[in-house]
Order: sequence, then structure tokens, then C-alpha cells
Amino acid sequence: MTTIGFIARNALRNKRRFILSVSSVAMSLFLLVTLQVALRELTNPINDEGSTLRIIVRNKVSLAQPLPARQLATIERIPGVAAVTPFSYFGGLYKGDEKFTSFAQFAVDPVRANELLSDAKVPAEQMKAWVADRTSAVVGKMTAERYKLKIGDRMQFTGQIYPCDLEFKIAGIYEGTADDRNVFFHHKYLDESLGNPGTVGTWWVKAASAEEATLITDRINKAFANTSAEVRAETERAFQLGFVSMWANIKILIGGISVVVVFALLLVTVSTMSMAIRERFRELAVLKALGFRRRELFAFILAESFGLATLGAVFGAGGAWCLYRVLDMQTLSSGMFVMFEVTPQMMALAFSIAAVLGLLSAAAPMIGVARTSVVQGLKTLD
Amino acid sequence: MALPLRYSFRNVLIRWRSTFATVLGIALVVFVFVLLQSLAAGIEKSSGNTGDPRNIMIVRKGSTAESASLISRENLREIQYFEEIARNDRGEPIISADVLVLVNLPRSDGSGEANVLLRGVSPRGVELRPQVRLVAGRWFTPGKREIVVSSRMANRFANFGIGQSFKAGTANFIVVGWLDGGGSAFDSECWMDADECRSVFERDLYSSFLVRPVDESAATKFLERIEADRRFKLKAEKEVEYYRKQTMTAAPIKWLGGFLAIMMSVGAVFAAMNTMYASIGARTREIGTLRVLGFRRRSVVLALLIEGALLALIGGIVGCGVAYLWNGYTTATMGFETFSEIVFEFTVTPRLMAEGLIFAVLVGLLGSFLPSVRASRLPVIAALKSV
Repeated sequence: MTTIGFIARNALRNKRRFILSVSSVAMSLFLLVTLQVALRELTNPINDEGSTLRIIVRNKVSLAQPLPARQLATIERIPGVAAVTPFSYFGGLYKGDEKFTSFAQFAVDPVRANELLSDAKVPAEQMKAWVADRTSAVVGKMTAERYKLKIGDRMQFTGQIYPCDLEFKIAGIYEGTADDRNVFFHHKYLDESLGNPGTVGTWWVKAASAEEATLITDRINKAFANTSAEVRAETERAFQLGFVSMWANIKILIGGISVVVVFALLLVTVSTMSMAIRERFRELAVLKALGFRRRELFAFILAESFGLATLGAVFGAGGAWCLYRVLDMQTLSSGMFVMFEVTPQMMALAFSIAAVLGLLSAAAPMIGVARTSVVQGLKTLD
Repeated sequence: MALPLRYSFRNVLIRWRSTFATVLGIALVVFVFVLLQSLAAGIEKSSGNTGDPRNIMIVRKGSTAESASLISRENLREIQYFEEIARNDRGEPIISADVLVLVNLPRSDGSGEANVLLRGVSPRGVELRPQVRLVAGRWFTPGKREIVVSSRMANRFANFGIGQSFKAGTANFIVVGWLDGGGSAFDSECWMDADECRSVFERDLYSSFLVRPVDESAATKFLERIEADRRFKLKAEKEVEYYRKQTMTAAPIKWLGGFLAIMMSVGAVFAAMNTMYASIGARTREIGTLRVLGFRRRSVVLALLIEGALLALIGGIVGCGVAYLWNGYTTATMGFETFSEIVFEFTVTPRLMAEGLIFAVLVGLLGSFLPSVRASRLPVIAALKSV
């Protein structure tokens, strides 16, 4: 029998315990990876190609405070600004009967927005139709599929933020952005429905180059300093991270729970390993008597616990990886999670935890074996 | 004949060393469950605790939150002379037209910014909300850019100390006092003069009206009247009802708590099974002896199930106990309805503790079921012979 065969046989001699131990390690690592994925989803906003160039200009007071529409001319003149469009979050309830709508609706200037949302691919004739019809909208592919919408269908929204209800005709369906869920419609349509208040939610600006982006944000901020509507211009990334900051203590909480999960995992594995070794103290003593060195015995124990933990990681972290590739989390979580992707870093984390676990859980039995003399070991009845 | 309870009980105690890890594992599961649910309970408690049952709140039809509502001044002029509205000793109708503004302010620890709900409130509005008390400083003076901040938010945001000032919009606000909402949603608000608020933030419209009707029958009549009048696109409901519904933020936390609890408990069941199998394996002979003495199979199963449940119960008690340490601790997150920071407390209710314990016992029973069945099926002679 080879050494590896010996270790494998030993590990599998109590199959039930082996399966249970591997499963509990797998379960915990699965959970750990899931938590990490969720945390990343909440704290690390999704980006697409265009996001390095996009700058978002909002009212300095807060996102909820509107900006005067007259700012458009000033922003356009700022050097380095390639394009700018009004961008207002409508926040309507779809059909009015949903409790909360999983996709956003934005009022934009279709011609100007085309420059900015370069990731979104819309067929040319659909684009033309959208620009031509003031009450029409383009819909993300995911939303269109979810509600089985096609071109020509109508969508009704009840305004929650704005005191008006809107109805759009679908002129086109786009895809290719990081989050193909949103609905874009004419800002003029919103203005008319509100009686032309002369305000917009935010401005979206496209920088001529990514290097210039921070420079341009400074220029925009300065251009409106000490006016009645001071602005906060920031890159899309900084803007999204601003949302993350608002989650406050919830982030810490999820991080803390991850630690608890890992700790619980450690406990379980350590106890199983010591159980497994304690059971064969006598055998180990026999091996010692036969002339096996102490370090060889250590190697047996270590290899077994290491193998158990790694196998757990393969099933747990690997299982999470497979599951979240196959599963459509977006539909399942009704839009709360979009990507739900297991990154290589998370896999690495799971496997390193498993490795440390293997080492730690081997420690206690190894100390036990080292301390016991052959005679003592042979005497144990356990 | 059933085995005495003492048998199960003493077994748990005697083998504490080998069961320690399992007990702790179950304790951690229960801890996570109770802690997360206590967050959700805290949000619900804070909403449920808000408002005066006599008051009626009016917002725009279709808006889900007060902060997203807009009501015109014409509506105020019409509604304030409704005879259903009570009057104070100076003969003025008790109605407050409030303005809510979201203000993005820096956190005190420099970790970014968050939205704070600023309420522009009239003197009537302060009277209508008796649960809001001033705990330090003084109330704002109408017509001045003075602000009273929530005492629970004071350490979370920069320059919220009394006498300090911060900039929002075009104005500088001086903090003149700290308010306490008594564990209600008002603990997440800052208050200032309504007219000043409207002029600084260029708000032509109000966000909501709060009304005190003369009595219960007037309240019903008032609600009907607002609903029936086609001129108003408004929604009137009891203030307490309105706040009771503002618990959307709690839903994902509850979901997360449930999800984690289930996943972790699967792991815990595996661990408990391992422990019980080992513990039964170690006393095969003892169980054989019990059978020889005449104890039935089901008595053995029952005794072992009780042992597993007891084991888990100890874990559950420890978990609940540790989670209880957090009870009353103030924390905050972004509220989904208001889109602003909401402050609330971890609230470990007796119900949650009971749920946690039941949960633990279930884990124990599930974990010990298969091992105990196996023990009861051991052939008596073989069991007696085993070393």
C-alpha cells in the first residue's frame, strides 16, 4: 500500500463521518463565498466601458434636489466636455400595481444621450423611431424579456417622485450595458407632463478622455460655485461609491457575519479531526512501535485533515462558483443583485481558509500524538 | 418504559469536552439569526412607534414616502379651514405643513457622506408631535437659519454639536439643539423652520400636512372628505398607519437573516450528527446494556433525541444570550423609503429569542435523529461484545 493510499483509506474508514465533515466545511465555505459575493455586489458598483468617461453632476444639497435646466449651456461650454444630457430618475411604479419596480426609468435627451450611453446597442431604425416620437422609450433587454415586451407595446408608470403618471410606447430595445434593465425616455415628455418646471434631476457628462475626467469635474464644480444651485460633479465610480457609503453599518455587519461563519467552521472541523485521531490513538502507537517516525505520523494526520478541508473547499467554493454561473440571480432577487459573480479572489480566499483550517485542525491531534509515548498509546482503549 | 431524563441530561454534561464545539457551533447559528432579525425588528419597532394616534397625515396620491411627496399651497389654504380640524386656544387650526429635504452631509468619521432627512416644520408641527423632545440646547427661532438635530445622529455626522454649523445648499445652518424622538422615526430627522427651509432650498411646494381632527368621528369624516374631493390628488391616513408601513428596509435584512440561518443550520446539523454518531459510537456497550435491561428501542431513541435537543438548547441559550448583549445598541443604514440615513436599535424581542431557541432545538433533533435510530437498531449481543 502506498502512503497516499494509506492516508485515503484512513480518511475514508468512517465514511459517514468523512462525508459529514466535508459537507459541513463545504456548506460553510459556500456561505462564505455567497456573503462575499453579496458584499461585493453592494459595495462594488458595476462598471462598463463608458463608465471611465462618464461624469455625473448633481445638486450639492443632495440627489433629490433638482438642478435648473439653464445650466446646460454653461456645461456645454466647459473645455473637455464631449457631450452632456439631462438625466432624471423618474422612479415610477410599473403598471402602478407593483409594490416596487425592479428597474429604473430615466428621462434623457435621446440625441445627446446616444453619445453617452455608447455601450447600449440599439438598431439604427429603432433609434430613429425613438428620437422621432416624443412619447416613446427604449427598454433594456432584460426588462423586455422579463415582462415579455416587444416593440410597439405600451408601458404605464405611476410617478412616485414626480407628481405625474406617464405612458410610453416602446420604440426600441437595447443591450450591451452592464445592467440592461433600464428604460430611457424623452426628457421633454417629462417636462410637458409637469408643466415645464425648468428643472432636471442630474446632468450626465461625457469627458473627452479618461485622463481629463477629474479635471473636468473640478471645472464643472467651479463653474457653479456660489450660484443659487451649486453642483457636485463626480465620476460615475465616485458617484456610485457615494451610495455605498450610505449603506453604513450594514457592510460591517455582513463582514462580521463572514468572520463568525469561518469561526464556526473552524470549531466543527477541529472537533471532527480530533475525534478521528483520538479514535485511532492505539493504531498510531502501533505505527510508532513499528518504527514510523514522529514526523511521518504528523504527515499522515496533516495530509488527512488538509485533504478533508480542501475537498470541502472544492465542493463549497466550487459549488458556489458553478451555482452562481448557472443561476439567474437577477430574476431570483427581483433585481437587487445583478452580477452575482464569484471572483478568483474569493475562490482564493476560500481555498486559503481551507488550507489554514487543515493546518489548525491537525494541530491538536498532532500535539496529542507527540505527547503520548508508545506504551501509553497502546494502553488506550478508546 | 422511558429512560429517565437524568440519563440524557447527565450524558450532555459528562461529555462536554467532545460536544463543546457542536454547542458553540449551534450557538453561533442562533446568534447570527437572532442578531439579524433584531435589526429588522428594530426598524419595525421604530416605525411602529412613530406618530400620534389622533393625527392624520396627508401626502400626494401615488407617493410612497413623505419625502417624495409634493403638495401645493392652494391645497393648504383650502384644507386648513375644514371644520373637522381642531383649533388651539388661540383659535388657529392645528395643521402643520412640512417640507422635507434630503441633504447630503459628511459623516463625522470621514468615511463618506450620507443623506439626512431635514424637516422644515411649523410651530404647530412641534405641538402635533409630542413624542419629540428637546434634550439639549433650545428650539430653532422661526425665520433664522437654525437647526435642531437628532441627538442619535449627532455623533454620526460632522459638525452636529451644539453651536457648530454646517453648509447645506446656499446657507449655513447653526445647530442650536438636539432632539430625541423617543425611539421613533423622528430620531432620524433634523428639524428647522418650515418657511426658512422652503426659501433656502427653493421649494414652492410642501411635502406633507399633519392635522389634528376635533375627535374620532371628525377624523373619519375628514378622511372621507379628502378621499372624495376631486380637487385634491391627496391621500390622507392616520399618522401611525403611515409610519407602520414604512418598513421596506427591514425586508431584505429579514431575508438575509433567514437565508443565513438556514444555510448555517445545515452545516450545524452535519456537525451535530457527527458529534452524536461519535458519542453513540463510544457507548455502544452502554446502549447494549440498556437494551438488555429491558429498555425498548423507542425509549433509547427518545433518550438520545432528548440528549441532542438538550445539547442544542444549551447552544441556543448561549447564542441568544450573546445576541442580547447587542439589545438597544444604536445603528443606522439607508432607509429605502426616505432614501436617507435611518437610525434604529437592535431589538431582541422575547419572541425572537423563542424563535432562536426553537430553531436550535430543531437543529439538535435533526442532527440526532439518524444517529439515535442507528443506535437503537444495534443488535444487542454485538453491542455488548464491542470494546
